[in-house]
Amino acid sequence: MEISSLIIAAEKGHAPAGEELFAALYSELHRLAKRELARCGFGVSLSSTTLLHEAYLDMAAREGPSFPDRARFMGYAARVMRGLIIDHARERHAQKRGGLFEMTSLDTQVLENAVDHRQLVQISDALDELGKAEPALAEIVDLKFFCGFSFAEIAAMRDVSERTVQRNWEKARIYLHRKIRSDLIL
Amino acid sequence: MPTLSPDDWKALSPYLDQALAMSEDERVEWLRSLGHEDNVLAAQLTELLDEHKVLAQEGFLERGQVSLPTSSGLAGQTLGPYTLISQIGEGGMGSVWLAERNDGRFERRIAVKFIHIALMGKDGEARFKREGNILGKLRHSNIAELVDAGVSRAGQPYLILEYVEGDSIDRYCDQQKLDVEARIRLFLNVLDAVAHAHANLIVHRDLKPSNVLVSRDGQVKLLDFGIAKLLEGEGEDGAATMLTVEGGRAMTPEYAAPEQVTGGVVTTATDVYALGLLLYVLLTGQHPAGKGVRSAADLVKAIVETEPTRPSEVVATTKATAEVTTSNAASRTTTPEKLSRLLRGDLDTIIAKSLKKNPQERYASVTALGDDLGRYLRHEPIRARRDTLTYRAAKFVRRNRTAVSLATLAIMAILAGSVGTLFEARSVRKQRDFAFRQLSRAESINDLNSLLLSDLAPLGKPFTVDELLSRAEHVVRRQHSGNEADRVELLISIGRQYTVQDKYEKARQLLEEAHTLSRPLPDSSTRARASCALGQALSRGADLPRGEALFQEGMRELPDEPMFTLDRITCLLLGSEIAQNRSDAKEGVARAQAAERLLKQWPYRSELLELNTVLFLAAAYQDAGRLPEASATFEQAAVRLTALGRDDTQRASALFNNWGITLTVDGRPLDAERVLGRALAISRDNQGEQTVSPMLLVNYARSLQDLQRLQEADDYAGRGYAKGLQTGDNMVIGQALLLRASIYRGLGDLERSAQMLAEVEPRLRRSLPPAHIAFASLASQQALNAQARGDGGAALEFANQAVELAEPLVNAGRAGAYYLRVFLVRRSEIELQLGRRNEATADAIRALNQLQADAPPGTFSSYLGRAYLALARALDAQGKRDEARAAAGSAAEQLQNALGPDHPETRTARRFSSDPSQK
Repeated sequence: MEISSLIIAAEKGHAPAGEELFAALYSELHRLAKRELARCGFGVSLSSTTLLHEAYLDMAAREGPSFPDRARFMGYAARVMRGLIIDHARERHAQKRGGLFEMTSLDTQVLENAVDHRQLVQISDALDELGKAEPALAEIVDLKFFCGFSFAEIAAMRDVSERTVQRNWEKARIYLHRKIRSDLIL
Repeated sequence: MPTLSPDDWKALSPYLDQALAMSEDERVEWLRSLGHEDNVLAAQLTELLDEHKVLAQEGFLERGQVSLPTSSGLAGQTLGPYTLISQIGEGGMGSVWLAERNDGRFERRIAVKFIHIALMGKDGEARFKREGNILGKLRHSNIAELVDAGVSRAGQPYLILEYVEGDSIDRYCDQQKLDVEARIRLFLNVLDAVAHAHANLIVHRDLKPSNVLVSRDGQVKLLDFGIAKLLEGEGEDGAATMLTVEGGRAMTPEYAAPEQVTGGVVTTATDVYALGLLLYVLLTGQHPAGKGVRSAADLVKAIVETEPTRPSEVVATTKATAEVTTSNAASRTTTPEKLSRLLRGDLDTIIAKSLKKNPQERYASVTALGDDLGRYLRHEPIRARRDTLTYRAAKFVRRNRTAVSLATLAIMAILAGSVGTLFEARSVRKQRDFAFRQLSRAESINDLNSLLLSDLAPLGKPFTVDELLSRAEHVVRRQHSGNEADRVELLISIGRQYTVQDKYEKARQLLEEAHTLSRPLPDSSTRARASCALGQALSRGADLPRGEALFQEGMRELPDEPMFTLDRITCLLLGSEIAQNRSDAKEGVARAQAAERLLKQWPYRSELLELNTVLFLAAAYQDAGRLPEASATFEQAAVRLTALGRDDTQRASALFNNWGITLTVDGRPLDAERVLGRALAISRDNQGEQTVSPMLLVNYARSLQDLQRLQEADDYAGRGYAKGLQTGDNMVIGQALLLRASIYRGLGDLERSAQMLAEVEPRLRRSLPPAHIAFASLASQQALNAQARGDGGAALEFANQAVELAEPLVNAGRAGAYYLRVFLVRRSEIELQLGRRNEATADAIRALNQLQADAPPGTFSSYLGRAYLALARALDAQGKRDEARAAAGSAAEQLQNALGPDHPETRTARRFSSDPSQK
């Protein structure tokens, strides 16, 4: 089924469409990431933002004018991106075969920024909770933290001022921080 | 700390909106008035806002580095039979809490250590508890007991430990001002404990001062015995231990043994090493790796390669270290001289034996180490043998540099202080490949590859790239299932990394395999890339024909459909390098341009791919000697880097370096200095000069020299030289010497200049074939020195040598071309001085013709300027006044733009063009 129709159905509140949408986007992004990494293998890394741009162009080209605009697309894709990143982190921690992506750039410096997947999961769980109360806030975290968009870009996508985005970001951080702290209970 | 219920949050949310929109002062006021109305609400808000300050400081969720909030809210929580009282601190691997039994039984003080790692499900938890049990059996009066290891309901692993109060051993010794003998005796207690653990087959793995505490009554207690092993992930057998982790980041491995750092097997000898290091610190007050903040990479290199300075030497006072050494000696109730004497001999030997890089050369056991120390104390002869001179001579592990044959030297050579990386093929490749490696520091979540990297390394352990690659290979080979195509892709990826690392043999091996495996596959994209990747690797070795053949094969594989465009681009870029390596610079450019054209036609945008293409293209232009285009392309690349927000990365630094080189050789020193200065600035990056490449320093010095900023040039050249000596980089040393010769001549110090040349000649002779253009440069420098001495005859001889060496190389299609022009201009000047006016004019004209042939209109070059000036002088000497003035005018124009209006040479040219009597 086409992504654009899935989006429409999902927005109408059709839950199964929502899940299918997630799955479809996930596999698109996955496929694209694999392809990009395999071909741009000059020891260069791939950024989430680039990947999302490519994905949008790719899908929009395929599905034609009915495909929703970038801003709307990013809202969904950002959530999927979060899932992708976490799954990947989980997989590689389990040292399964290659994980989601192939290896390209190998540099010891980047090791210093290695992120524990368990921490990511905690953030994700907390984000899901936040999403229930204030979905707009959760989306900002997805877009900024997991997808690497800047405040300006997010503001443009959501058609609000940059200051609003920043404020909401801080609010979201407070929520998440508190949630994660209190979850550290035994 | 209570959780926020959804209702709480709902109530607070709109207030938070308001609060966050206010300034700090407004907020205080606002909270106060709110407090009058509803003080519970105000209190909650205040709490949240305070937390916000904390999280902002922690950098929570910033920059992809997830630092979990500190769990200070745990006071009063129970953990099995214990209740947490207060947090004692943040340990190496998690927070540490004081606790007591909650059934009122007082046995002793207890510490609970929460470990921030992820356990692998039920199995992981079981293993954790099991290992903990084993460690718990260790009972010794000098070992802090591990009471229990467990996992909370929420999956949080923890350790229950005997609480120890005391100072770290080095601090204790300093505070008590213990002398050498007393320190050794205390140290023997430590050895006792470790020996006991070894007898029980437990290795500590993480011995360091902070893990060796001494209580107020002088009792030694070792902490965290074997815990490092407990925290290992599901690694392979014998995998090296995790180095201390702090909040997810690896700490610098100051006390790590070489085998821990390179992924070798950890044994009791590893503890011996750490103990040796500890003793070193206790006796000297210094760490063998020296002072100064080091990057983890530097430290790793020091651990693995550098032999530690002898204790007796390191405590001796030098001018620079007087303060430190005196205070260190004072803490040992002695003076530096006496301390040095005390340590000399046996103690030097004992420590050296403990610190051997090879575990098998160390003391076989902790007991043996203790025995020798005991003998020392009793003034008996020790068992360890002194290092012989020959052993100590084999110090630095030299990096493997395969000799570059003339055939593969596609690009030019060393010249007087010139642009070394341009002229050593390997370095060019290195620089360019370096530029391709992603080293952007700011990003981690944003760059998925960083996740890939951490794929293979246990948390926090710094692997060498080699290590990572071979583990990656391991992973690939272990895959029995999974489809062949994926396996081939992985092999290609890894193989290409080896190529990037210049590990030719390994690369070839893997890529051959990938190539073979790819033949039967239906996917032509994979086949094509396998061929081209192998071709690239081979072209860097000696098998150039096959490299080219493979490229052709790869290109043929690809059907003429748009979906294969990306593959085609990749192959063309690889092919561009293959052509360059075959000395076919023209073809190199052609292929890179073809790739660029294809990329433009491709409907999708990939900024990174565009950047890479541009970088390859610039390198191809550079190789072909098409400097203006190279320069312009570099500029494009720089713009793209900025657009990608990565223009302050190491990759950018390499880019600017190459660009700067191109500008220098193109005779644009003003621009070159600016660009190279940028490269330097990036490369320094708050770590001082540790990270700057010596070649870059020399290149920068060269640009300064061109601008006649001689003192500065000397300074940088000197630093580049010193660094080059440190790393044993002959290319750098050679160029630095030639450049300095030139600088000293400029400063009027002919004697030193000659010294430099004398020093560089044997170096060149040792490492280069006799027909190398480096010797032409050397000759040219000799000529200039002779000229400065007033010895016209010798100067001409040398100048002839230079030209004669350069000509055949140029005719053979090597890119020695622009050096030839420089030599011609210099010879012209010398000939003029000797009164040989016709020859002077001829040489100047020849140089001019060559330069003009290559220079696009509208560009300015110092070389062109000087050629014009030489011509002007020669013409003038022949009585052709008007032509001379015209030439001088052109010279002035060129030099003005290339060197700046105040440059002495510019002024000379200007004066000449207005008044020919002023030559």
